[in-house]
Amino acid sequence: MFYLKLPYGTTSIVSIENSEFKTHMRNKLKALICVIIPVLLVFALNTKFGNLLPLLKFLNPFTGFWQNAERLQTKKNNSLALKGTNEAVDIVYDDRLIPHIFAKNDHDVYFAQGYVTAMNRLFQMDFQTRYAAGRISEVVGNKAIELDKYQRRIGMVYGAENSLRGMMADPKSRAMINAYTDGINAYIHSLSAAQIPLEYKLLDFKPEDWTPLKCALLLKQMSATLAMGSTEFYMTNIIKKFGPEVTADLFPDYPYREDPIIPAGTSWNFKPLPVPSPPASSPEIKTGKVRTNILEDGIGSNNWALSGTKTASGYPILANDPHLNLTLPSVWYQIQLNAPGLNAYGVSLPGAPGIVIGFNDRTAWGVTNVDADILDYYQIKFKDSSHQQYWYDSQWKNTSKRLEVIRVRGGKNETDTVVYTHHGPVVYFHKPAKPVRLSDNVPVGTALRWIAHDESNELMTFYYLNRGKNYTDYRKALTYYTAPAQNFIFASADNDIAITANGKFPLKYKDQGKFILDGTSSRDDWQGWIPAAQNPTVKNPPRNFVSSANQSSTDQSYPYYINWQFGSYERGKRINDRLTAMNKATADSITVMQTDSYSIFAQDILPALLSRVSPGKLNATQKEAFDILGKWNRSYTARAVGASVFELWTKRLFFDIWDDEFAGKGAPMQYPSRDRTVELILKDPGSKWFDNVSTPAKETLDDLVNESLKYACDSLERKFGPIGKPWEWANLRQTHVPHLLNLQGFGSGTLMTNGGKGTINALSGANGPSWRMVVELGKRPKGHGVFPGGQSGNPGSPFYDDMISTWASGKLYDLYLMSSAADTSGKIISHLTISKK
Amino acid sequence: MVFLVILIASFLLQLVLPWWIIVMISFATCGLIGKTGKVALWHPFLAILVLWTAMALYKTLPNHNLLVTRVAQLFGLQAWWWILVLSSLVGGFTAGLSGFCGYHFRKAVLANQSNTKL
Repeated sequence: MFYLKLPYGTTSIVSIENSEFKTHMRNKLKALICVIIPVLLVFALNTKFGNLLPLLKFLNPFTGFWQNAERLQTKKNNSLALKGTNEAVDIVYDDRLIPHIFAKNDHDVYFAQGYVTAMNRLFQMDFQTRYAAGRISEVVGNKAIELDKYQRRIGMVYGAENSLRGMMADPKSRAMINAYTDGINAYIHSLSAAQIPLEYKLLDFKPEDWTPLKCALLLKQMSATLAMGSTEFYMTNIIKKFGPEVTADLFPDYPYREDPIIPAGTSWNFKPLPVPSPPASSPEIKTGKVRTNILEDGIGSNNWALSGTKTASGYPILANDPHLNLTLPSVWYQIQLNAPGLNAYGVSLPGAPGIVIGFNDRTAWGVTNVDADILDYYQIKFKDSSHQQYWYDSQWKNTSKRLEVIRVRGGKNETDTVVYTHHGPVVYFHKPAKPVRLSDNVPVGTALRWIAHDESNELMTFYYLNRGKNYTDYRKALTYYTAPAQNFIFASADNDIAITANGKFPLKYKDQGKFILDGTSSRDDWQGWIPAAQNPTVKNPPRNFVSSANQSSTDQSYPYYINWQFGSYERGKRINDRLTAMNKATADSITVMQTDSYSIFAQDILPALLSRVSPGKLNATQKEAFDILGKWNRSYTARAVGASVFELWTKRLFFDIWDDEFAGKGAPMQYPSRDRTVELILKDPGSKWFDNVSTPAKETLDDLVNESLKYACDSLERKFGPIGKPWEWANLRQTHVPHLLNLQGFGSGTLMTNGGKGTINALSGANGPSWRMVVELGKRPKGHGVFPGGQSGNPGSPFYDDMISTWASGKLYDLYLMSSAADTSGKIISHLTISKK
Repeated sequence: MVFLVILIASFLLQLVLPWWIIVMISFATCGLIGKTGKVALWHPFLAILVLWTAMALYKTLPNHNLLVTRVAQLFGLQAWWWILVLSSLVGGFTAGLSGFCGYHFRKAVLANQSNTKL
């Protein structure tokens, strides 16, 4: 057979060749796979997928998080050579890692401040300013786009750019901000991949160079935190529904009970400018549909100062505790700055040069928020949907457009066009698809006029306060300040005390900005400014103390309009009551007072409420709660069950009274104030507002009081079980200090401390006294202070949260205002020398 | 030998280069001097396991495990040493697999070269 004659093996040679080829290919494939597997492994373990961190990039001990674990034992002596300094700088760290900077000139002191602040707080500084600038999407991807847009659209970057112009115009502040920036960058450039702060490794991004604009952004963010609250949208909805009479009745321009910052009866020794008169009619306002926002009593703070006649030493004592959202790393960074002409100690904001709250050899100063009406919305009439022109004083005026480019991690850039009128930006033409919490009170189609958009130079205020020697220096320093308006308190070794509600206040007609304003007429524009010298102020009042707790700045005799509503009077009243009674005050008695948790609100209203309860109709638990309330000493102490019941009871009662009318279905509103509600309960118990209009029956105040008490007890029982220990106030309040990114395991546990909103120790969930300071003035000042956190922002440092327990217990540390680096009064643990390279 | 070379090279190079240099080191070392597949798998695994555990302990012990305890909570783990186990095991596994791949890469390439000579 033919095919048998084929040479033997032909097929097999072919097949051998074929199989050789196959083996060859298989080996090639194998080699390829052997390369691909390791490459894929590296990719998988070095990349961030959504919320999953890059596993080995984070976990490897050479550059991952392990490198951020600091030795508990600090090195005694360190030295550095840096290019940016003019002369050698000595920095000594005390036992709480507080740097005391001794420099030979202004440039070096701010350079060193930038350097050491970045050393401890780089991530916080970077992240907060990215947040302010609407750049979080760059870090976390598209889930932050609406938040970023909101920040851009309210003009944060626009405002920061304007502010920066102001800061750069003055040679002193320009030098200060540039030196500070260079100091931060000197530190950033010294970092290796292993040394960058932990949070960068978690979120997988890198530090970027600091710029002066970031300092401005940080100050703008402070304005946004303290003065972005706006109720004109709600008030406009209210006046549209209820008319001007009811609105004026329920939302009066001055509270029923008040204890103003500038003592009532203080005379105004200036000739006021003429106050503008309001236009005749209010505009027709279109309002959008969003959900209701029940306003809580805002962010508050306390400060007070006693003159020497009320203290044991014969010299003034000054105290301050600003209430802010509590976070780790802490809001504040303690520091001492020493250079020729400057020796100050206090807290700074990481990201801004100088000391904000503190003291020096001769003076002490502090701040609380004013709550001034420096933010208004104007209804704009556009010519057409292109928004190129708007109607103003009987003609069409051109808008300008600002393009905001938002870079998105793992996505395309998003460009947002913001239309600007002469008032400011139009925040929203329509509500965002996914509204951010902050955007709730923004009326659609209006332009935002906000003081934070103006050119300003707040840094100079602190520059001069830090160097101030006396009252005159204090007054001069305040003239530089624009926003956010603060009650600047002051005391000096000359035995002067003073307080000034200070900021750049627009000259307005009464209630201008209580409602949305008319953007078509210059009559509703801001009409100039209250002269800085005429801001409410008092020096050495007859009562021998000054104080503030966010209540009304003045009595009703002050010639200008600052705002129609302020923080409620209770904290201020309690402070003033205690200071009036106090004699021979010491740092100890003032420290105790800072953690006072007595509730004036309970004092005002509890007897009236208890008298309306029908005990016969209560069940056993409610009866026991009623008895506890009867014996409660009205202090929000950690273990007080009465405080828990009272808190929920009054909250529910206010809801019962107002929610039927002011839930604002379709058009968001706010409830009338606590003050007005208390007045109604005490003086007008038959008021029609107590009836629930959504039921056919006619409810009385008594009905509501009883229903709300039962409701409060039932909800406590549901949450915590039978009445007893779990009902204790601190357990309900759940105060804790979370990490800035809310990372599990990186915050504090629940803190069992006294205090509550509306008491001097104004603590809530994660908001409260962010710094407590008491300064005894004298030949040599003595400072005491604490904040709920630590100096280091590194969760791997023993100084990350070391002060929390002291803060929670209401104690203060001694603050060392050292005279030189060799001063032995401070407990020094390490010494850093920066020499010129 | 493979163990020591990887251990020392990984220690030195990781001081200046990213962690994934261990993948290259394991691959190259086992590709050059790995005698068997077993050696190529286990020596890099053990070398990195030992090196990373030692380095992690060197950083965390003087810290009294403050940070690693927080990280463990972040990962939802009860005890800090789980993080150590996780880091070292995943690191070791990555190195082991890379070594193994390096060895077989050489075998594949050598086999082809000898085939070509034939």
